[in-house]
Amino acid sequence: MKNLSTAAVALALGSVVALPAAAQTLTAGFASEPSSVDPLYHNLGPNNATRKHMFEALVGEDENLGIVPMLAESWTTSDDGLTWTFKLREGVKFHDGGDFTSRDFLYTACRIPNVPNSPSSMAGFIKSAQTITAPDAMTIEVTTAAPYPLLLTDFASFGVVSASANGHDGPVEYLAEGCPGIDGYLDSNAYNDGTAAIGTGPYKFVEYVPGERIAMERFDGYWGDAPHWQSIVIRPITNDGARVAALLAGDVDVIEKPPVQDLERLRADENINVVQGASSRVIYLHFDHAGDPTPGVEGTDGKNPMQDVRVRRAISLAIDRGLIVDRIMGGLAVPARQLVPDFMRGTDPEIALETPDLDEAKRLLAEAGYPDGFKLVLGTPNDRYINDAKIAQAVAQMLTRAGIETEVDAMTASVFFSRRNNYEFSLYLAGWGASGAGMASPLRALVASQNKDKGLGGTNRGRYSNPDLDAVIEEALATVEPEAHDALLRKASRIVVDDVGILPLHFEVTPWALRAGLTMDARADQHTVLTSVRPGE
Amino acid sequence: MTARADTPLARFAGDFVKSPTAVAAGIGLIVIALAAIFAGTVAPQNPYDLAQITILDGTLPPGSEGFDGFHYLLGSDEQGRDMYSAMIYGLRISLFVSFVAVGFAVMVGLVLGLLAAWRGGWVDGLIMRIVDIQLSFPALLVALLLLAALGKGVDKVILALILVQWAYFARTVRGAALVEIRKDYVTAARSLALPGWRILFGHLLPNVLPPVIVIATVQVANAIAIEASLSFLGVGVPITEPSLGLLIANGFDYLLSGRYWISFYPGVALLVTLVCINVVGDHVRDILNPRLSR
Repeated sequence: MKNLSTAAVALALGSVVALPAAAQTLTAGFASEPSSVDPLYHNLGPNNATRKHMFEALVGEDENLGIVPMLAESWTTSDDGLTWTFKLREGVKFHDGGDFTSRDFLYTACRIPNVPNSPSSMAGFIKSAQTITAPDAMTIEVTTAAPYPLLLTDFASFGVVSASANGHDGPVEYLAEGCPGIDGYLDSNAYNDGTAAIGTGPYKFVEYVPGERIAMERFDGYWGDAPHWQSIVIRPITNDGARVAALLAGDVDVIEKPPVQDLERLRADENINVVQGASSRVIYLHFDHAGDPTPGVEGTDGKNPMQDVRVRRAISLAIDRGLIVDRIMGGLAVPARQLVPDFMRGTDPEIALETPDLDEAKRLLAEAGYPDGFKLVLGTPNDRYINDAKIAQAVAQMLTRAGIETEVDAMTASVFFSRRNNYEFSLYLAGWGASGAGMASPLRALVASQNKDKGLGGTNRGRYSNPDLDAVIEEALATVEPEAHDALLRKASRIVVDDVGILPLHFEVTPWALRAGLTMDARADQHTVLTSVRPGE
Repeated sequence: MTARADTPLARFAGDFVKSPTAVAAGIGLIVIALAAIFAGTVAPQNPYDLAQITILDGTLPPGSEGFDGFHYLLGSDEQGRDMYSAMIYGLRISLFVSFVAVGFAVMVGLVLGLLAAWRGGWVDGLIMRIVDIQLSFPALLVALLLLAALGKGVDKVILALILVQWAYFARTVRGAALVEIRKDYVTAARSLALPGWRILFGHLLPNVLPPVIVIATVQVANAIAIEASLSFLGVGVPITEPSLGLLIANGFDYLLSGRYWISFYPGVALLVTLVCINVVGDHVRDILNPRLSR
């Protein structure tokens, strides 16, 4: 009997003692689920956000996407801008206790183009490197064929994996056409079950249950500051309402992307703390710049009105960006003047926000030969960006007022993107999250003329082509010296705005909701990184 | 027995008015139908004309005034549509889609059902196996798949509903026709060597109509519900021309934030419409079913 009561007391004590430990677990509700734990498998937002906990890149990006030292402590470029030398950080350990050396970076570069069944490869991030070599265990040397200022941003985009954990113990030599001595590469399953999920990050792998959770635990051998939480759990809760409900019920401590329409209520709730920060994602309209006729436009005798800069200017003048931000986005956006927000590289502070002017828009339309306007179909996804279809409807209202009778064709993202890539819209709404490269990122992807060989215009599905602009962009991309590089980006940004080549609407402001007493850093790339979650208001 | 009650229609009307519930539902249905038909006159705003709505007046609570003095009786949604007008226009789409779809489905079902019963053999087998296969899938799932392949638009929704619903009618008609074919009047018609199509459509058709009418009323209500579900799921009508289902879906986003009116009023309209049709349909079934008549 005495034993029994002792046991009961011990049990009660145990549960009291266990409480603080339980409080050391942080559970997060993600809006979309990573498709794998493998950091090199799928270049996708949730994957890259999850990766940042377990795997670190050679260089890091801070909240505003500025480049900071990470696995490389310092770096230099040669005078001709063709050779980069990275000095690696001493004393960095992998989760299995192994040392991080240049060999692991070479192995990572080798694996990137060879990940089995990768739906969207990271290969673009190492494409610019002509050679990657390791003069010694703590040095990486990279050469490029032409000066390439965005190398750091590219190298910040993928996590470094352990060569030994991938079953390769000897030295590694990186060759673009294939690394000698490495016959096969582990597929993402080896990462998902944890055997190869060995990184250098602040958290180490515990468990991955697809559709349910990814659990991680603090890595005590981490080189940097120890993170606040003993263990973290990422739970995918894709339904907006369910995610908010889970937070309100206390099932999770932090959620990403609380729906705009619930923010008012969440802010008023004293048990909830809302954190928000400007993101680098611009929501834009892209015109069909390619020849006549253009799909969905009626009343122009088969002509493509979008080729006329006056029509593009009229559309820009008809749209009240401030009103959309205010009414549709509930203030959770910043009206856009150019393709990236002011805090990033290469923005021209002289460019002013377009002041809506309906009369001027109508006058320009008449001058362009459309006094009675025309009919237009605006294509948009309805589940990809914050309030995407609602924004499209508001734009349609505004254009209809200016005389361009606009119909909205909204569809699920996968259908939208395949139709867009088939050039089925003469005007479409989409978004672009700029990388740390700043203005260079949307310039080369969205408005540079399509050119596969040069890797330009990859997402320029409006087929905009402006030789003057192309020349400036190409010059900027070949200028490594930061001041000159940024000056060229500003010039290019000005050309795009003057020609209304593309129409930026606003930058998303990303909100996160946490239980009261917690705060976190809002990242411009919208990644939810739980290492920054900490007590505070 | 007065002379008035001699025609089947008059007898039917006489039976119908005996139930106050059915009469009330019938009147409700007529009011809803009239409002939908004359939407342009009844509604103060055309919510499908983008030049008439403005996001400046978005998500106003019921009874508010817009910036140009427009009175939003039941509030507005996030695009600044007057909910009252949007409901009436939405009702019009919902009713139009379901009546047209059921009308065509009845025609297809009648022809194929009669054909199956009349010809028998492999024709019967083929048609009825197709019916069996189709009825073994949930209607909403079939409609979703069809719309995923066909794309968006009112015409596509109607087509999908016809394809989903004809099978119910075909099966009912075949069953009723098989019973009727063995009756003496059909044998008499056959012995007169009348052509098959005349026996089918002149003699059999009028006698299999009562169960079809009953099923049609129920299926109209079903069609409205399916259309609303499809639009709620975002595969039905275009988003700038919302039906009731799409209005409810739009408001669904705002339920947690306390802006109940965007979902609530269209929901009530949908509910009332479905209840009216079902009550009327129920009563019609009672009247037309000889086993239930005393």
